[in-house]
Amino acid sequence: MSAGPGGSFSRTQYRLGFWLLLAPVVLWLGLLIILPHIDMVLVSLRERVASRQYEFSFSNYITFFAEPLYWNTFVRTAVMSIVATLLTLMIAFPVSFYIAKVLSGRPKMALFILCLIPFWVSELVRTYGWMILLRETGLISGALQWLGFIDQPVELLYNDAAIMVGLIYTSMLFMVVPLVTTLDSLDNSLIEAGYDLGGSSWHVMRSIVIPHAMPGIMSGCIVVFMLTLGNYLTPTLLGGKDSLWFTEQIYTQFITRFNWEQGAAFGILLLVLSSLIVWAGLKVTKQSFTRVMS
Amino acid sequence: MRPLRKFRYLTIITAATAAFSVSAQAETLRLLTWGGYAPQDVVEQFEKETGIEVKVTLSNNEDMISKLRATRGAGFDLAQPSQDRIVSAQADFNIYKPMDMSKIKTAQIIPSMLAATEKNTQFEGEVYGVPHVWGTSGLIVNRKAAATVKDYTDLCDDSLSGSVSYRLKRPTLIGFAFALGEDPFAAYGDTEKYQRILDKVEEKLVDCKSNVKAYWSGGDALLNLMRSGEVTAAMAWDAGGWKLNSENPEITFVAPASGALGWIDTFVLPRKTKAEDAAYKWINFVMQPEIAARITESAGNFTASQGSDDFVNDTLKAQFKESFPQADLDNINWYPPVPAGLEEMEGKVLDRVKAAK
Amino acid sequence: MSEQAFVSDASAEEQEDLACSLLSKHFGDFAAVDKVSFSIARGAFFSILGPSGCGKTTLLRMLAGFQEPDSGDILIKGRSVLHTPPNKRPVNMVFQHLALFPTMSVAGNIAYGLKRKGIPKREHEALINDVLDKVQLPGYGNKRIDQLSGGQKQRVAIARCLVLKPAVLLLDEPLGALDLKLREQMKIELKRLQQEFNTTFVYITHDQSEALVMSDQVAVMNKGRFEQVGTPQELYYQPATAFVAGFIGDSNQYVGQVQEQSGETITLVTEHGVRLLSHSSQPMPAGAPITVFIRPEVMQISMVKPETEQDNCLQVTILRTLFDGARSQLQVETAEGAVLTVALPQTADFHALEPGRSVYVSWQANQCLCFPVPAETEAQPEVAQ
Repeated sequence: MSAGPGGSFSRTQYRLGFWLLLAPVVLWLGLLIILPHIDMVLVSLRERVASRQYEFSFSNYITFFAEPLYWNTFVRTAVMSIVATLLTLMIAFPVSFYIAKVLSGRPKMALFILCLIPFWVSELVRTYGWMILLRETGLISGALQWLGFIDQPVELLYNDAAIMVGLIYTSMLFMVVPLVTTLDSLDNSLIEAGYDLGGSSWHVMRSIVIPHAMPGIMSGCIVVFMLTLGNYLTPTLLGGKDSLWFTEQIYTQFITRFNWEQGAAFGILLLVLSSLIVWAGLKVTKQSFTRVMS
Repeated sequence: MRPLRKFRYLTIITAATAAFSVSAQAETLRLLTWGGYAPQDVVEQFEKETGIEVKVTLSNNEDMISKLRATRGAGFDLAQPSQDRIVSAQADFNIYKPMDMSKIKTAQIIPSMLAATEKNTQFEGEVYGVPHVWGTSGLIVNRKAAATVKDYTDLCDDSLSGSVSYRLKRPTLIGFAFALGEDPFAAYGDTEKYQRILDKVEEKLVDCKSNVKAYWSGGDALLNLMRSGEVTAAMAWDAGGWKLNSENPEITFVAPASGALGWIDTFVLPRKTKAEDAAYKWINFVMQPEIAARITESAGNFTASQGSDDFVNDTLKAQFKESFPQADLDNINWYPPVPAGLEEMEGKVLDRVKAAK
Repeated sequence: MSEQAFVSDASAEEQEDLACSLLSKHFGDFAAVDKVSFSIARGAFFSILGPSGCGKTTLLRMLAGFQEPDSGDILIKGRSVLHTPPNKRPVNMVFQHLALFPTMSVAGNIAYGLKRKGIPKREHEALINDVLDKVQLPGYGNKRIDQLSGGQKQRVAIARCLVLKPAVLLLDEPLGALDLKLREQMKIELKRLQQEFNTTFVYITHDQSEALVMSDQVAVMNKGRFEQVGTPQELYYQPATAFVAGFIGDSNQYVGQVQEQSGETITLVTEHGVRLLSHSSQPMPAGAPITVFIRPEVMQISMVKPETEQDNCLQVTILRTLFDGARSQLQVETAEGAVLTVALPQTADFHALEPGRSVYVSWQANQCLCFPVPAETEAQPEVAQ
């Protein structure tokens, strides 16, 4: 009896509610993500010909591929990021396994929180912490001299290893959290069944724990890889004169060269190339993005 | 009906809030400046005398231009770029507003500096800059460990391996060019010649890289490196060297043999300044000799204020005299305005130096 | 008494797949398993039956090697496996929730153990097909685990163990998650598989019907100890302890006092004041507290007082009928207020019984059991339905 006007009214209301609920997401994506990126693409396709005069051109992209310096910087950044991601995974996996499967109750929470503590201070402070430890007149160099391992100060800062240490330290949490979550969801009896059917620890790890944790491993790796690739402070401060990080290039183009066109092109290239690397990683490990991110 | 009325109320409230915030902003001076140029006691005195609130944002040349470019000249009421960086930025990005010289108490300013700045910051017939603080870049040297350093190129001496620092920015290129016997300022108008000079500098800097401990970017970071002794010679501003000299007499600022690089930081009005009157008030306020002397104390550099030297403490004057005998003072290379386009050429050189092994 | 069940002469040992002696496991002060000894003959279906928390899971996990006993020994085919890790023990386990590997296919799950055992790859397919045939899942090798029904998963879990030809297969309440109908089918299926593979099964459950239907031998476990080990029939008809009598099958259970004993027949009075005769093999002093158990199906209902002399005959009033097909029961009340549950034969004679009607129930003294209440006041065992 109320199928006529009543029904359509409630449907309108439902529609309205749907759009109202969706509005924040649409606004967020539209205003803060999509529009700026469209603008970036447009800016990157301009070339300055004279003061206040710009022309459409691909020259900024051509510069990236033609100038080995930029191309090499990107490759170096990507390779270092991949290495940092893998090292983070190798360190975080045993820690996560220990937290998720060996500990329980209070010690489990305690260790988990210990992993969180470094993130209560800003990245800048954390990085300066490493600088205090690693610099020539720093704690480690001093301790090594005091112990008699070396007879003069040693510079541990301003090299790739220092960058790597800083990146791994900064990334740990983002690997540990998804790993602990997926490992927590692994039924202990699956591990026991793995042993029961004759598997050694190595087999159980490889055939049962790792396949189960794969979505967590991949989501941790994606997050860490993206964060590392987009990191600016750590490579710049710990890498010193040889840091050569791609985001540093983007920063330089935008801020010190006033070359927004080149900077925008680098930004778009970073987005596209890093997406390609993530896509390739998912293909190689046969994971789907939706599954990894759920 | 009701939602409509509500909407009307909302509009009125929004408009009122906006109007109020504008009127409130008129009483605020948003100052984009360098560290030490607006010391707390000077700001407090200004606020007390005029009732205008001062909000200070610390920055550097490139950052100032980038910030103003991003907002097309909005967000700040007064900025302080170096005089050589104003015209090119104005030509490219149109971020500044001409200065009304009639509102400046020019009698407070050293005439030669005022004239030089007027000349260097002219664009399409209008003057954009008023001089404020001046100083030089040269060498900070730990005399005990690096007594041999007399010029920029001496930083590349083998004996200083791993204990040298400089910035990877244009003053380094200019300084090395002079030290290599070139005159880059004379080549400003000749792109090809300038490129040849840059190539020469690039070669030297790549060669010199093994000597470098780190390319510094923040002044404090450099001072720490010098204090700890990890760096014994660096290319830097004079004020930093004098500051270290007060702590440790072994370290001081040395004017390089090929000439220190002279800069003048100015006052300019961003194009969309919202507190022009307050800006002029601030300029006239800080150029009073006693106030200017207090800024000299805090920034470590002298100002263009006529007669403020009398109020500056003797230590700083002594340090200045020691670093700048008359011959060296005459030898200062003052930055002329940078023509647009040069910085892109310089940028590529700096990138390649950074990437070199 | 559980120690008696442990047979230790050498000739018997050869016929045993599994034996335990004085096995104990404590968690703090709590004795989960308390000096348990038993042995299982080759190819037997052995069940450990007990309420939750009785220690049966701990016992099973010690057999599998996931938990180390505090003391005692475990022998598999006559050899101690105390120092053998779980992946080297010749036992396999079907887990409570099956623990099939969700990242592998059915064939992958079965092949996992084969690979670990070092069986050449070319033999895998034949072995997998063979075992899938035996569990009646031919051609299921390529299915994913989440494509299987509950019963099919069950069979895969068993197949993946049996393909390894273990000396003993441990089963940890694997039927718990299934619905009733499927559970009934799987009971028969499990028994069939056990006979077909001729493997010793150790099956733990809290469900007496699972234990009674499938097992050759059942151990009733309570508070970390074995109360009684025997065939299902022995447990049902000759329970050794009050706990077993209460736990196995349904019983009317009353607390009372011994009045007198003549030979193996006791006269007792329940707390309600009902006088009953009961069989008892052990001497009981007059006045001793006692628990008596009467199974519903031993009582006979009659409309009139039976003509033949019965040891116990009570006139009762019908309270209600509990209809459950062939398992229908009648609740009746004596004049003293004691409530009895009586099996209701599905014959036409009793269709007309309605509440309030007066009938007679009767049984012989040797059809009811009584046990002395231990001196320390022990909590009464929970009576399973």
